[in-house]
Amino acid sequence: MAAADSPSAALRRRDLCSRGIRLAGKMRADVVDLLDIYVEQQGLDASASVAAVEGVPLAAVERWDEQTGTQRLLENLAAYRAFRALLAQMLEEQREQLGEADAGLGRALAAVLLQVSAFTYHLEELLRLESRGIPGEEGDGPPPPPRLSLFEQKLRGLGVLRELAQWAVRSARDLRQLAKPGSATGTAPGLAESP
Amino acid sequence: DSHIQYERVGADVTMKCGSMDWDAAVTWTVNGTDINDSRLNGSYLVLKNVDLLQSGQYSCYEGSSWHLKYQTYLRVGTPPKEPVLMCRSNNYPKGFYCSWHLPTPTYIPNTFNISVIHGTKDMVCEKDAVPKNRCHIRYLQLFSTVKYKVTLTVTNVLGKNFTTLTFDEFAIVKPDPPESVVAKPVPNNPRRLEVSWQNPSSWPDPESFPLKFFLRYRPLILDQWQHVELSDGTSHTITDAYAGKEYIIQVAAKDNDIGTWSDWSVAVHATPWTEEPKHLTTEAQITETTSASTSSFMAPPTTKICDKGAVVGSGAVAVCWTAGLVVAAYSVLFI
Repeated sequence: MAAADSPSAALRRRDLCSRGIRLAGKMRADVVDLLDIYVEQQGLDASASVAAVEGVPLAAVERWDEQTGTQRLLENLAAYRAFRALLAQMLEEQREQLGEADAGLGRALAAVLLQVSAFTYHLEELLRLESRGIPGEEGDGPPPPPRLSLFEQKLRGLGVLRELAQWAVRSARDLRQLAKPGSATGTAPGLAESP
Repeated sequence: DSHIQYERVGADVTMKCGSMDWDAAVTWTVNGTDINDSRLNGSYLVLKNVDLLQSGQYSCYEGSSWHLKYQTYLRVGTPPKEPVLMCRSNNYPKGFYCSWHLPTPTYIPNTFNISVIHGTKDMVCEKDAVPKNRCHIRYLQLFSTVKYKVTLTVTNVLGKNFTTLTFDEFAIVKPDPPESVVAKPVPNNPRRLEVSWQNPSSWPDPESFPLKFFLRYRPLILDQWQHVELSDGTSHTITDAYAGKEYIIQVAAKDNDIGTWSDWSVAVHATPWTEEPKHLTTEAQITETTSASTSSFMAPPTTKICDKGAVVGSGAVAVCWTAGLVVAAYSVLFI
């Protein structure tokens, strides 16, 4: 494996970051569309506030500009692994509730799940490139949540999709930071001060 | 004693002349001008249904001695209407600002108080020195789904009012328009214009938070705009300009992922490159000068539609013209 700071590694990193940025952009667009479908099909109010749900990784971060490249990659990886499990769970619940009656929502969920899986792989590749060990997944994912009522399941699904949409934006920004020339995963490139 | 007295438009105001008795002889003035006795009730000055024009300095003098017994500055005004509040981030991801104004003036001093809550957290909006009706906040968190709630309260002596805005982090992102827009003709290209611009200087990190752009252009003589969306770069070549026509061009910017488009930039004007006009000559002149001169004149390519003597239509009348002149005539007709 090339050293993390070799020219070929830098090129590979830039390439992975570019493709990752495009993937994150597509993922966000699809999640936004999925949110519209989900809200309508589940009979929810699009403006409803949803409290933070246990197990859903929050995109919100303080001092984002001070994060190192490795921190960015690790936080992204943990988040998308969690989303992969959450979306799989949503898909199963949706099939249980509606069966084939709502194939459109199921297909849209499955498509986003696929993109989340692809993005997770992308992040793992970037971590391998940085010669960082990839943290193992904890067991089979988050512990199964307590059985929720149908309405609670719907609200949790809304929370999952909203946070995923935020993460997709954050991930594109994170990868742009990583793709900056001279950006090493151990240092935190700061924002340029405005004049 | 002198003080300020605030009264609502339409109110009835009665002023006492200090400690003078009701039946004392007094003279009231407003801004130095005597007030007609018809407005007096004894020594009291009665102003009914006051309006804005009645604001001023009111003074009361003892009848014979002209000692000043009372003075007040009357300011007629209104309680505040619901203020207009706007919040925007033109320097994402550093922070955002909120600005406000009253839809109609109150004509008396107002104080504005703004509160910003993010979830359960109170945030401080630091007032700008200039302009005075603005404050700014630095983001402590990014990528949050929790909404911001901004409440502006305006208070004056006659009443108070307030308004509230609730929004999420992405929704208020709106860059300033692109700067330094320049449009130039392209030499030897009569249908091209080269346009370039710069990111707005208020956008702090275009590398990590790239902007995309929307360019619009039209000839001055037409109303319909052409639009081009550009996902990267700060220049574009227009390739379908009408030859010889002056164009007006503007550019707008938006964060690549979130928020709304900026306002349009300052408009620039440009005309595509045109060939230097050639000196037209008649056939006779060409014949005269053919053997002697080395004229640089080159006649435009022409195509004869028909030969002399050919029959067109049923009237057996021959008509013959050159295509170049026809095209030129049509161009003038339609542009």
